Amino acid sequence: MIKLAKIKKWFGSRKLKRERTYEEEKREFEMAMGKPFINIRIEMPEGFEELRAQFLNLQKDQRFLEEVKDLVKKRLTYEKHGLKPQP
Amino acid sequence: MDATILIFILIYLLTILVSATELAPLSVAALGGALLTAWFGIQYNVFTYEEALGFVDMRLLALLIGTMAVVEIAKRSGLFRVLALYAVKFSGGNPAKLFVSVCIVSAFVSMFLSDPMAMLLMAAATVTIAKLLKYDPTPYFLSATIMINLGGISTLIGSVSNMIIGMEANISFTEFINYLLVCEIMLWALTIFVLYMIFKPNLGEKKTLPEYKPLESITNKTLFYKSAFILFLLVFLFLTLENLGVGPEGVAIGCAILGLVLSKLDPAEIFRELDWETVFFIAGFMFIVGGLEKTQILTGISSWLFQMAEASSFNSTLVTLWFSGIASTVVSNTAIALTFAPMIGAHAFSGLNSSAVWSALILGTNLGGATTPFSGSVCVMAIGALRREGISVKFGDFAKVGLVTTIIQLSFSSLYLIVRFRLIGV
Repeated sequence: MIKLAKIKKWFGSRKLKRERTYEEEKREFEMAMGKPFINIRIEMPEGFEELRAQFLNLQKDQRFLEEVKDLVKKRLTYEKHGLKPQP
Repeated sequence: MDATILIFILIYLLTILVSATELAPLSVAALGGALLTAWFGIQYNVFTYEEALGFVDMRLLALLIGTMAVVEIAKRSGLFRVLALYAVKFSGGNPAKLFVSVCIVSAFVSMFLSDPMAMLLMAAATVTIAKLLKYDPTPYFLSATIMINLGGISTLIGSVSNMIIGMEANISFTEFINYLLVCEIMLWALTIFVLYMIFKPNLGEKKTLPEYKPLESITNKTLFYKSAFILFLLVFLFLTLENLGVGPEGVAIGCAILGLVLSKLDPAEIFRELDWETVFFIAGFMFIVGGLEKTQILTGISSWLFQMAEASSFNSTLVTLWFSGIASTVVSNTAIALTFAPMIGAHAFSGLNSSAVWSALILGTNLGGATTPFSGSVCVMAIGALRREGISVKFGDFAKVGLVTTIIQLSFSSLYLIVRFRLIGV
């Protein structure tokens, strides 16, 4: 028997695709007209499994985010002066 | 009335009803209707299996798929986004200039992109700029919707309904421009003026635009220039088609292949992004209309309609314009073009009269598409995108703007057709 819910889900997936395209397009415009930004995916390092919660909290930790911003500034300063980034 | 005719009319109406109410995707509705038409038609000996194979115009589908592939490559290169970014930059933060720029670019990009794709692009552009400048996006958004519907009237590839009518009537790319370019430019100006007068108090105040360089948004410059070249080549070859000895579908497919080779993009990825729903809707609906043609019902309606116009070719032109325009406000303009084209084809109009009636059908099917929030997929998407941004537009508010612009556009088109084909001629 054909399940109506499945058909409804299939029909709904078309709408979702449009919404995704819209969001992608909006991101491109935001990048071009507003301040550009990057999203980086960082996996939890091995050997720290017991600190899962602390690791996940880092993305909301303002001090940590400032440290990452400083790292970006440091890296771009090297790029600006044509220097090799130090390890 | 013959039982088979009644069955075919019921299948046609059911398909229209299901697709208009979005009870099922357009393609599923049309293919379901085509399946029923095939079964009843062969069962009741209305047509043979071999005759049924001829119902679907493969040339039209090739033109559609080829053009879609070229445009998809151009879209990936960011070509259309750059245009929108330049339009915003040109305004310098002046709301009136921004409004006019958004309107012109919306109409221009829809000459190439499908209406839903153009809507997604312009929706993203207007929402971003409105947020940056703290404007209400609604006037920009609704105006972009109406202009997207209007854009591309005067080109063979400007809309799906244009392709259908162009292939059925054998109207070339240059003939499209010859008959309708002046009308389209005037309609753009008139519509922008009307929309500006309606939305003037809600456009916001002058703000400072952030500094940005549109070309910097392009990550792959080589692809950008290559796709601009291919798009230019497509238009150039359409314009010089008579010297090539191939139909527009040959040019479209040829440019698509060239585009895939030059861009080095993954063809599978490009093909996946094409609007297959429209392709299959057209294929299915052509089949349903093909079945109706076999019952002679379309010829009957055509004779009745044009007799009502008192056999005057000029009245027929105006009847076609208003009838197809009004019908397109409730039914997909693709379906209206597929139904009306064989009806006009069945009636022996000749010379300039024929060009006038076909031009009226092109105008009617294009102009009726943005009258109410449910007139076409572009309107539905525009309302949906606004809702995502937390703004709700009432049916009445949209319909007020849509109705005013549609009536003005249809009235102006009537005047244009009188002047262009009766007074000027040629």
